[in-house]
Order: sequence, then C-alpha cells, then structure tokens
Amino acid sequence: METVQAPTSATMDDSRRWKTIRKQLPNYLFILPHYLFFVAFILYPIARGLYISLFDWKIMGKTQEFIGFANYQALFKDQIFWESLGNTVQFMLMTVAINMVLALFVAAALKQSFFGSHTLRVLFYAPAILSVSVLGIIGIRIWDTQLGIVNYFFTTLLHGPRISWLGDPNLVLPALSITTVWWTFGFPMLAFLAGLQNIPEPLYEAAKIDGANTWQAFIHITIPLIMPTMLFVTVTQFIAHMQVFAQPYIITAGGPGNNSRTAVMYLYETAWKYFRFGYASTISVVLALIMIVVTVMLFYFMRRRTEY
Amino acid sequence: MASNMQTTPRRRPAFRVHPKTRRSILLWIVFLPLILAVIIPLVYMTSMALTLEANQLKFPPDWFPHPITISNFTHIFADKTLPIARWFGNSLLVATVGTLIVVFFSSLSGYAFARLEFPFKNLLFSLLLFSLMIPVAVTLIPAFLLLRDLKLLNTYHSIWWPAAASVIGIFLLRQHFYAIPRDLEDAALVDGASRFRIYWQVCLPLVSSAMIALFIFTFLGLWNDLFWPLIVLSERNTMTLPVGLVVIQQGSYIQRGLAFAGAFIASIPVLLFYAIFQRRIIAGITTTGMAGQ
Repeated sequence: METVQAPTSATMDDSRRWKTIRKQLPNYLFILPHYLFFVAFILYPIARGLYISLFDWKIMGKTQEFIGFANYQALFKDQIFWESLGNTVQFMLMTVAINMVLALFVAAALKQSFFGSHTLRVLFYAPAILSVSVLGIIGIRIWDTQLGIVNYFFTTLLHGPRISWLGDPNLVLPALSITTVWWTFGFPMLAFLAGLQNIPEPLYEAAKIDGANTWQAFIHITIPLIMPTMLFVTVTQFIAHMQVFAQPYIITAGGPGNNSRTAVMYLYETAWKYFRFGYASTISVVLALIMIVVTVMLFYFMRRRTEY
Repeated sequence: MASNMQTTPRRRPAFRVHPKTRRSILLWIVFLPLILAVIIPLVYMTSMALTLEANQLKFPPDWFPHPITISNFTHIFADKTLPIARWFGNSLLVATVGTLIVVFFSSLSGYAFARLEFPFKNLLFSLLLFSLMIPVAVTLIPAFLLLRDLKLLNTYHSIWWPAAASVIGIFLLRQHFYAIPRDLEDAALVDGASRFRIYWQVCLPLVSSAMIALFIFTFLGLWNDLFWPLIVLSERNTMTLPVGLVVIQQGSYIQRGLAFAGAFIASIPVLLFYAIFQRRIIAGITTTGMAGQ
C-alpha cells in the first residue's frame, strides 16, 4: 500500500542500520506531541477502563476493592440497564432508519440542479450546526402538551386530540427520535449527495435506452453503487445514536419512568450522580463490546452486498 | 412533458414555462413541508426569545412577537448567577485554542505518517486506527479520573488535553500530504532545508484547504459539545455555553423566555459563521466526510 523506504534488507550491516535509525529518530518529534496526549487520554484510558470495571471503585475510596467479575454479574441482572439498552436500541433503529431513508430521497432530489438547489442543501444542513443544548431547549417546548407547537399544528390542522408526547411511554422515544432527525439528517444527506454525484451519468443513459424507468434505475443502479456510502453512513450513524445522551437528558430526564433512559445516560448517572465508577466502567465496557460486534457485523454483511 | 405539449398544438399556451423552471417549482413544492419543518423551530426559538415573559404562555404562540422585547436578554445579562458573557468567553477560548492545538498536532502527525520513516511506524499507526473502533464511552471515566488526579478539573485544560488526543484529523491530513509530489520535498532537501521547514513552508500550504475543513469542524464540535464539558466543568464560572444552557434549563431557571434567549445567544454566532462559510462547510463535508458532531 505504502511505499516503505525503511532499510529492510538483511545485507545491511548493523552499523549502517543503527545509523539510519539514529537519523530517523528526530522524526519522532513530529508525532510526539499528539502521541503523548493520545496515550494519556485514549490508549491508557481504554486499558484502565477495563481494569476499573473489575473493582468496586468509589471516588472517595483510598483503596479500591477488587471484586473480579461481580460487576458484570450484577449488570446482567440489572433491570434498569437492560431497559435503558432496549430504549437505546429502539431509539437508534428509528433514528437511523428515518435519517437514511429521508436523506437518500432528499439527496436524490437535490442531486439535479434546479433553482435554489444549493440553498436547500445549506438550509437542510443548518440544524446540525446547532448545539445539542439548543436542540434540547427548543425540543422540550415544541413537544409540550399544553403549549407546544407540535400539538398546535396537530389540533388545528388535523383536529386531533392534544397528545402528551413526552409523557406517553410509547411516544417519548419516537418524539426524541424525530427531534434528533431534525438535528442530524443533514450529514447523511450530504454524504449521499456526494455518493450520488460519483455515479457516472452514462449508466443512467444506458439504462434508459434499455427501457428502464426511473424507479428501476434507482433500484438497479443507484442503490448498488451507493452501497459504500451506505456502509459509511450506517456505521457512523449507528455509533453516534447508540451513544445518545443529551437529547433525553435535557428533554425528558429519562422519563416517564425509565422509558427514555438510554445506556449512556445510565452510565453518566451511575458515575457522576452515584459515583459508582467501577460499575459505570462495566456498563461502558459492555456497551462498547456490543457496539464493536455490531460494527464488525455491519462491515461484514454490507461489504458482501457491495459487490457489483 | 413533451408529448403533453404535442397533444394541444392549436392553442399557444398563455405563457410558456421553461421545463427547467417547471421542475424547479415542482421540486420546491415537494420540498415545502421539509423546508417548513426545518425553519419553524428556528423561527419559534427566535420569536420566543423576543417575547415578553408574560406572553410566553400564550397558546397559540405569537409567531411575530408584539411587542418585540429584548427584556429576556437584559434579564439574562443582569443575572449574576448566570454569567452568560463569561460562558460565551469560555466557549470561545476553549474552542479556539482547542482547535489550534488539534489542527497543529494533526498536521504534524499526519505529515510524519505520510512522509517520514521511523521505527515502529506501522505499529504506531495501527494503534491510531484501533482507537477509532473503541466507542468514546469507555474512555470517559478513566480520562475524568486522570484529570482529577492532575487537579485539572474545572480548568480549560480539561477540554484541551483530551481534544489534543483526537485522531480523525491525522487521517484526513495524512491523505492530503500523500498527494504532494515527492520531487517538491526533494528539491527543498537539496537546498538544505530542514525537515521541519519543509513541513512548515513547503507542505503545509499545500494542504491548507483540508486544514481549513478540519479547523471548521473541530471548532464547531468544541463549541457545541455538551457531554464532556458537563462532566469536567461543574463550576459556574468555568462552564461553556452548552453547559450553561442546561443550567438555565434545569434548576430554578424555568423561565421560558430566558432559556430561549440563551439558546439564541449560543446559536447566532454559529449560524452566522455557517452563513458566511456555507460553501466551504458543505464542500468540506462532501469531500472529507467530516461533520461537526
């Protein structure tokens, strides 16, 4: 892949090899600044996170008690953890599905140049520029039962009843998901747009000559050729939405009951509200394992379908 | 479209619509619900920020507030327990310095991994790749404990140091350094330039567009981030704007106008920034696959 210029031949005698290495040593200065922080704040924390998960780690404790896999055993029987993981998966599936479908169709339409097509791209990406705190402040008021504008449109335009979106266990996750789609669908849209623009136009012309209609061209040309982008978008969306925290934290505080408590929210509360760092680390390790396994599976299955 | 026109050849249409115009109009009509869905929450935030606290509970809300008031803003700036100007300054400082660190470190490492040779290069690079697979959730607690042990909680360093460890920029810039012809560097080497000078004066200018993209997205990411600052910045005076907004939203500050005014203050700089640099930002996302989240 890369051209390796490092002297690898066995014929080189030791002194010359050492000379090359000595000459290369200053090159470390280039990667050193980043690598120091990388080791301290990413590599070492990964190892220490695994280690802490084996302890009954309390923030004030002078000595921490080693308890082996007791945290893991407790976690597997922890109702709230499974509930919050279930909520997370539901939220993630809804958000990723809506985002992908919406983004793909919008991108397909925006791909043609028409009056204002660039303006629309800019507009549709705009919410993604905002902080999640802003999203939360808008979201909590928009879904409000009494004063929210969602219910305003719902009752005046559709003559529907006032719905307690954030108070209903069955509606709270869809409401959070739609809020998140409003905030995040710009990125997959632009990614798909880039992917679509890379598909050579002659393919569509050839299909047209062969008598294919727009829908057939979409299914047989666009979808297969956009699979690499699809894989990239699916994986990044999956990783982002599995770690959802701020939307439920600000908008619902996990309620009603535990119905919108997510895995990372539970992790946050365990660590920074109840100061059980060992158990919180266990949550993070299990969540990470689940995410890694699913990511690898996504790569495996979608790679296979990428052949065309 | 063409066949429709042929069926009525006798009468000339009253006015002719160019097919491209027609398609534009059609697409705008199709997109109208989505356009409204994107715009309405932003309009709502703006008009509520300019609505008197007494009128906040009106239903339906006044889409155009009357009277237009800036009382929410004066209120928020007058409240000593909500140092929003301080939060704004904190955000600006945290994001600007953090971004400069990330861009500088990423360009150094990106250059080294693209252009230089040193022992264990592949291993060191593989470790960077490996770290991409690990969800952030795992590193939160140990990174927090490390900062606590270093007595850096509630300082700007608690944002800058972990940010300096980020790896995405290295991959991005490494790709761009690869594309530079080697002859250019060799010529500089022959002229006796040092490695650092070649990196700084020859190569950096050639990857400036990628660096600008990295700068924009790192800045937006740091400016907007809530989760990490929420963990490490718990004192009122060290908070960034997103954390401050959560403080306004929770606690005893449930006044609606105040929260909207705070959200407005946090959004206006980024929206202006976005309006000015929209072409670069949109192009940056489509070519680098980076985003501000």
